[in-house]
Amino acid sequence: MQFAQISDLVEVDTATLASLDPAALPGTWLNSNPDTTGIARLIISEHDGALSLRVYAVGPDGLIEWDAAEVKVFSSGPAVRMAAGFTSLHDFGFAETRLQGMIMKGLLVLAQFHHFKDDSQRVDYFVREYFALEHWRN
Amino acid sequence: MTPTIDFKQSSHLDPALSDPATRTLNADKVTGRWLNTNRDTAGIMECVVTQEGEDFIVKVRGAGADDPIDWPAARVKALANLEEEAGQRAVALAPVFDLGFMTAETYIRVNKGVLVIVLFNTFRDGSGRSNYLNREFFYRPE
Repeated sequence: MQFAQISDLVEVDTATLASLDPAALPGTWLNSNPDTTGIARLIISEHDGALSLRVYAVGPDGLIEWDAAEVKVFSSGPAVRMAAGFTSLHDFGFAETRLQGMIMKGLLVLAQFHHFKDDSQRVDYFVREYFALEHWRN
Repeated sequence: MTPTIDFKQSSHLDPALSDPATRTLNADKVTGRWLNTNRDTAGIMECVVTQEGEDFIVKVRGAGADDPIDWPAARVKALANLEEEAGQRAVALAPVFDLGFMTAETYIRVNKGVLVIVLFNTFRDGSGRSNYLNREFFYRPE
């Protein structure tokens, strides 16, 4: 088995191989910062084992809904079958945004990479924001 | 006539993005040799970041069973990092390492003198291993 760091090196029982359980991800995730100029909330949905992501970003005149995107799921280790994060890619034509989400103690830490493809001369940039999963427990 | 500026969120319109100096702001906070704060790490032991013009070269060394494993170097452009307070702002990097059997998408930033590397590792070898994420912290040796 090839590895690039010892943490890659695990025994995998291919006879009992299961897909990643995405249970930690679906739901509505709310930005902890009410004054954000970035993403206000995320909605992750599961259908037939696949996840999709809807993003609602803050615009000058209200929320802007991005086109739905597929989600690629990651665990916290190569032998772990529970989801702990995701990535997604959003192509707007004039720009491309890559999202990398990581769940830590119930908090979703979302890194955003914005790459401009137009001639606006804007610099590419990075930002992180924090999201909590909306729930109804008091 | 003022050109139209496309956006998908208000931060796309941040005036700082039109300042070319933003791209390389405090680049020296990221460059140099960094060692993992965890001497027993099973992940990345060491990271070296150098700057060549507007490019940054990132070399990492993974913990091996016997000897360290040098990953192929990645060349990237810097990303402006607008999230910190103005005095703390430094560039961020998002190198992707193609290791053949695995791809590691990473991002690297400095927070109060600590280099943070977050990795999203995707296996491409059909080994059945789960794609996984990891985060490690590095300090600058004297």
